[in-house]
Amino acid sequence: MDMNEKPKVEEKVEEQKPQEVPEVEAPKLPDTKEGKLVAELLEKAPYAEGNVRRERRVEFKVPADRIKEFLELASEKFEMLIQISVVDWLKEGEFELVYQLWSVSESVHAFVRTRIPRENAKMPTVMDIWPVAETYEREAHEFFGIVFEGNPRLGPFILEPREHEKHPLRKDFNMIGYVKTIYGEDFDRYDESKTNYVI
Amino acid sequence: MSNLEVPKELKTEAKAHDMYLHPIDKDTYELFFGPQHMATENFSIILKMDGNRIERAIVNPGFLHRGFEKLAEQRPYFTNIALLLRICVPESDVPENIYSMAVDEIVGWEVPERAQWIRTVVLEMARMSAWMFWIMGFGNEIGLYTAGQWAAAYRERFMRLFEELTGGRVYHIYTVPGGVRRDIPGDRWLRQLRDTVEYIKGKMKDFDEILFDNYITFERTEGVGVMDKRFALKHAVTGPNLRAVGVPYDVRKDDPYLLYPELEFEVPVLKEGDSLARVLVRRYEMEQDLYILEQLLDMGPPSGPYMVKDARLKALPRFKPPRGDAYAHVESTKGDFGAYVVSDGTHKPYRVHVRGPSQSHGVTVLEELLKGARLADVPVILKTLDNCPPDIDR
Repeated sequence: MDMNEKPKVEEKVEEQKPQEVPEVEAPKLPDTKEGKLVAELLEKAPYAEGNVRRERRVEFKVPADRIKEFLELASEKFEMLIQISVVDWLKEGEFELVYQLWSVSESVHAFVRTRIPRENAKMPTVMDIWPVAETYEREAHEFFGIVFEGNPRLGPFILEPREHEKHPLRKDFNMIGYVKTIYGEDFDRYDESKTNYVI
Repeated sequence: MSNLEVPKELKTEAKAHDMYLHPIDKDTYELFFGPQHMATENFSIILKMDGNRIERAIVNPGFLHRGFEKLAEQRPYFTNIALLLRICVPESDVPENIYSMAVDEIVGWEVPERAQWIRTVVLEMARMSAWMFWIMGFGNEIGLYTAGQWAAAYRERFMRLFEELTGGRVYHIYTVPGGVRRDIPGDRWLRQLRDTVEYIKGKMKDFDEILFDNYITFERTEGVGVMDKRFALKHAVTGPNLRAVGVPYDVRKDDPYLLYPELEFEVPVLKEGDSLARVLVRRYEMEQDLYILEQLLDMGPPSGPYMVKDARLKALPRFKPPRGDAYAHVESTKGDFGAYVVSDGTHKPYRVHVRGPSQSHGVTVLEELLKGARLADVPVILKTLDNCPPDIDR
């Protein structure tokens, strides 16, 4: 980690925390198709939290150990897994996984959020629910180092073999340091003392 | 079998050069298709062949990886536009738009009507020029080069219009959060656009004769690369590929954005799910896009500003949206193109995750569809799926 950048990242994440708490603790569901959809799912899965964000956008928060159970339930209404986004909250030491689902029949987009610790990040695979998850999980494994148990194809995917197991999209990946080791003297025109480099 | 084994010195030589020689038996052999092959567009597929039939296909992406998502975390919000639009080259306005729409949602900006009109026109023009690009690729793959050359020439008309509007031919850097970067040049530009639409509408008949209604196209695509509805939904196939299996899902109808709720257009659906259905769905969509452009031109650009009025826009590099996240998606010619942007309150995005449509239909689906196909079908399946490698690599 570049010493110049580290305090900045910590600052950012610290501010994030107080904002999230009131957002979740307001489970007032409107009387729309989105509200009914959320209420229906929460009835079957009381361990999850859900709310309606706006028209055609709903949101769920699920504990990591029950994510598979929840997604299995959700897959009845939400036919498509659009993508699995990973956000690295460095200060909190957590990865946030956002399973983004789309319901073709209801035209509703759902964020299913879950948080897992950064150390030894492990998740069950959802390949058996949506086979397309294989690709997304391979990507998340390669860029963040999350192990999806049950996915047989975790390995070099997009990156070159020399970059494998380096997990470049983690916030503590030292990008400039890595580029320096690879390109050496060609990289000398960059000044280390500058903090906010736009490459 | 002993006589087929690779000689030892060849093995050591290969290892010294960081290569591996896979043992092969009498009938099957390994074939590297791409990244140099023209049909694949810098994409590589490793094929296990049994004679002329494909036994197994392994997708090998990564030749276009440029680390845009990591770079986007190091740049201010507005600078990212010039970076992210390079994800999908034939349709570079789509990444601009989804990123801008996601940032708009985080900030809470309501884009002015004039900007919405311009954005819709730009998106539809991008779709038309991307269709022309696709005809070029597909025509060339099945040997109908004339269609491809015509399409390349017609695409040039849109390029010229784009150049006058934005200053760039391929990369436009035009749609920015809060509106568009500058106003439309004037009535002459609108007249030129109408002329182009009329012109290409007249040329669709020629395309039918030479490409879509052609014996060769039917012969090469019918019954090739068939998928069913359940398979397509489970694999998150979107766009024309999904509509070719009978699911009428179109982001413009199901999750309307910009001016699309006010426009009339149809979503063409076919049921066969083979390559021919995918080709024909695209042909019908071209007609719908021309129809949409006509409607937009009849509507005319609404008066008003083309950018939101916000004091924060005066110091662009230090522009800070509030904390939050948003997902925006639009219908591109490849499918459902989306961007997930997370803001932590600083002047750079905390995370940008782009969902390229080829990510879902270009890896597992392609591998499945290639199983049992002939070698000559590989470019046909690739092109009818409209696989765009930078969507996967980013």
